[in-house]
Amino acid sequence: MTLSPGETVLEALLRAGVETPHSCRAGQCQCCMLRAIDGAPPEESQRGLTDAQKALGFFLPCICHPTAPLKVVAPDDAGAPQEATIRAIEPLSEDVVRLRIETENFSYRPGQFLELIAEPGLSRHYSLASCPEEDAFLEMHIRLHPNGRMSRRLMADLRSGDKLHIAGPRGTCFYEGVAADQPLTLIGAGTGLAPLYGVLRDALRQGHRGPIRLYHGARDSKGLYLTDELQALAHARDFTYLPATLDTGGDVAALALAAEAPRAAHTAFFLCGGENLVKRLKRDLFMAGASMKAIRSDAFTPAG
Amino acid sequence: MSSLYERLGGEKAVNAAVELFYRKVLADGRIARFFDGVDMEDQIAKQKSFLTMAFGGPNSYTGLDMRNAHKRLVAKGLNDSHVDAVIENLDSTLRTLGVPEKEVREVATLANSVRDDVLGR
Ligand code: FES
Repeated sequence: MTLSPGETVLEALLRAGVETPHSCRAGQCQCCMLRAIDGAPPEESQRGLTDAQKALGFFLPCICHPTAPLKVVAPDDAGAPQEATIRAIEPLSEDVVRLRIETENFSYRPGQFLELIAEPGLSRHYSLASCPEEDAFLEMHIRLHPNGRMSRRLMADLRSGDKLHIAGPRGTCFYEGVAADQPLTLIGAGTGLAPLYGVLRDALRQGHRGPIRLYHGARDSKGLYLTDELQALAHARDFTYLPATLDTGGDVAALALAAEAPRAAHTAFFLCGGENLVKRLKRDLFMAGASMKAIRSDAFTPAG
Repeated sequence: MSSLYERLGGEKAVNAAVELFYRKVLADGRIARFFDGVDMEDQIAKQKSFLTMAFGGPNSYTGLDMRNAHKRLVAKGLNDSHVDAVIENLDSTLRTLGVPEKEVREVATLANSVRDDVLGR
């Protein structure tokens, strides 16, 4: 599609009859957002977007006058599913398993999530704990639900070497737009640890210098996992690992809020876990002075 | 004469004001309940377009949008006293940011101009 002189990408799309949601046409409401998967959108058209969105090629077509060709997709387009091979399914705790899969050509940032498709009609989203620069596989942490279809499929039928499909990645919960010497605080519960583990390793790999604190909450000590790895890593790489379990009175949100509120204004936050936890933390940290731009979060609703 | 929006510093000024303003609004017991359960990112985007409008900047607010956007809140009891509270928070945000009195009043006038649409009158 060729733009007429002076025309914005949004105008051109609408003229061509491509259905594109929009409202303000002035770069304010962000409802027209698209994503360039080829070519760089002009800086001006990314005004007001987060650093993570910019890094992924998101832009606002209503204020976009491109100077070079762009290949654009809808913002939630996850691309065509591709085949992946299971390399390992192993327990991390009583009810969490680690799934490692290998695939041909999948570029992602640690902390993003993908869609795992076990069979037609059976798919779930999982966050990525692996690091493309360091791991040959994609790693996910999966909570097992006794009656969950995906859980049963993973535990009963699937073995190393089996094939399944993945699509994505998606999500903006990754290490981007954080200053190297800024305090970095990661707060999660349950398998919310997966993306945080990815972000943590990415931050360390990229030479983050500011203090790092990782809070991980669970119902009881059996719900914590990767504790040995995290303790060893904390020791070797100088960050603070703060596990908290409810049965010993350790409400991870309350603990993290009490400790983080005084320095919230300068800290970069990553929040991952159930919806209630993430909502509460996001709001309270914001009220304590954290900038919305410095809070990245990924909330999930459990589904077997 | 440059527009109020430009005199205040354009989009930069909106960016500086938006989080401070939203924090004040959420902390205000008179109006906080109207924000229960809303998504913060979404809401910040809305605050941003509201401030752009209140500063007299480029915006596409129509009376009809305003009515629709606030219908649910009017049903929950939104009235003049709440609009007053919002404008009060807007004033105090601008004062915190060192905006001169004359401009503070201009912003309040612009914000006031959508009152009837917001309240569906
Ligand atoms: S239509 Fe509002 S940002 Fe593009």
